[in-house]
Amino acid sequence: AVLVLVHSPLPRLRALLQRCWGRLERGLGPGVFGGQSPPWGAALAVQGPAVVPQGIDAAGEGSALGSVVWMAAPKHRRTIEVNRCRRRHPTKLIEIKRNIDVCPECGNLKQKHVLCGYCYAKVKEETRLIRKEIYKKEGGPLNAPAVETVVLYEGEKPTEKDEGKRIIERARKRPSWFVQN
Amino acid sequence: RLLASGSLFPLSCIHTSTQSLQKIGKWEKKNRIVYPPQLPGEPRRPAEIYHCRREIKYSKDKMWYLAKLIKGMSIDQALAQLEFSDKKGAKVIKEVLLEAQEMAVRNHNVEFKSNLHIAESQTGRGRYVKRLRYHGKGMFGTMKISRCHYFVKLVEGPPPPPEPPRTGFEQAKEYVQQLRNRTIVHTL
Repeated sequence: AVLVLVHSPLPRLRALLQRCWGRLERGLGPGVFGGQSPPWGAALAVQGPAVVPQGIDAAGEGSALGSVVWMAAPKHRRTIEVNRCRRRHPTKLIEIKRNIDVCPECGNLKQKHVLCGYCYAKVKEETRLIRKEIYKKEGGPLNAPAVETVVLYEGEKPTEKDEGKRIIERARKRPSWFVQN
Repeated sequence: RLLASGSLFPLSCIHTSTQSLQKIGKWEKKNRIVYPPQLPGEPRRPAEIYHCRREIKYSKDKMWYLAKLIKGMSIDQALAQLEFSDKKGAKVIKEVLLEAQEMAVRNHNVEFKSNLHIAESQTGRGRYVKRLRYHGKGMFGTMKISRCHYFVKLVEGPPPPPEPPRTGFEQAKEYVQQLRNRTIVHTL
């Protein structure tokens, strides 16, 4: 037996609920309501047969039974053996991945078609620090200049190619993966 | 300490009556068995490490698929598979395996941390909690918040070769052998 714990705002809905709970437990189909009170829209998550949507009055069988529609429901309980055959079928098991390699730079594992996670995290962190420097230089949003940017590390001088470009200084040694042109 | 063989001395097992520790599970106690020293002629007994994690917020059925994936693999292969799996339980199992590997090297006298393979990996049901799930129109249902346990046993040594699948010829041979083994009962 399921307790009606919800105090719904409509007393008619509550009375309807209590009547229909009783009917469900006795095993009859969902009863006929007078057509005025609100129908059950959503299906219930507790044990009970499926719910009748409202506009099925015309498809009824006879006025004695009321407007009843036969819904699909399981007839027998599926045994644990049958359940296991379905759940443990080879198509449902996880396949082992054969596309895992070792990253030549850092030695961590990586998938063949994906960037190495560790190297990507390193690059992301460095980019974040460069962006911080840019933000400090610009001083506010929407101040990006119309020239290219060059990042220089410790002990590097701007070359002739970097004439009109904006220079961002980073106070560390140049990382090995950031090749200078 | 539990002794695998030999007589139990009456005073050696002293139970502490503190209630601070909850019941120590059976899987955790398996790490405490101590075998008697091996004789010089015996083959070396491979080290066994039992580890588990309790009350993981995940479903035991979903966790079972991951446990089935890594059964019988070497620990490096298992870690690789779990790292690139998209499931929530994969992260948890990876942590458990790394912890167990570290325990093996530190406490259980395992020489090479890669020389381990997964002998058993199982899931168990944790404590479920029932909660209300609110539907429309004042309806409700009760849902259960499920948790699971994960158990793993690492054994030193390379993983055992996979068994060849049973052929039809072998099955036929066994059937014929069964027929030949039949005798007539209650006769001379």
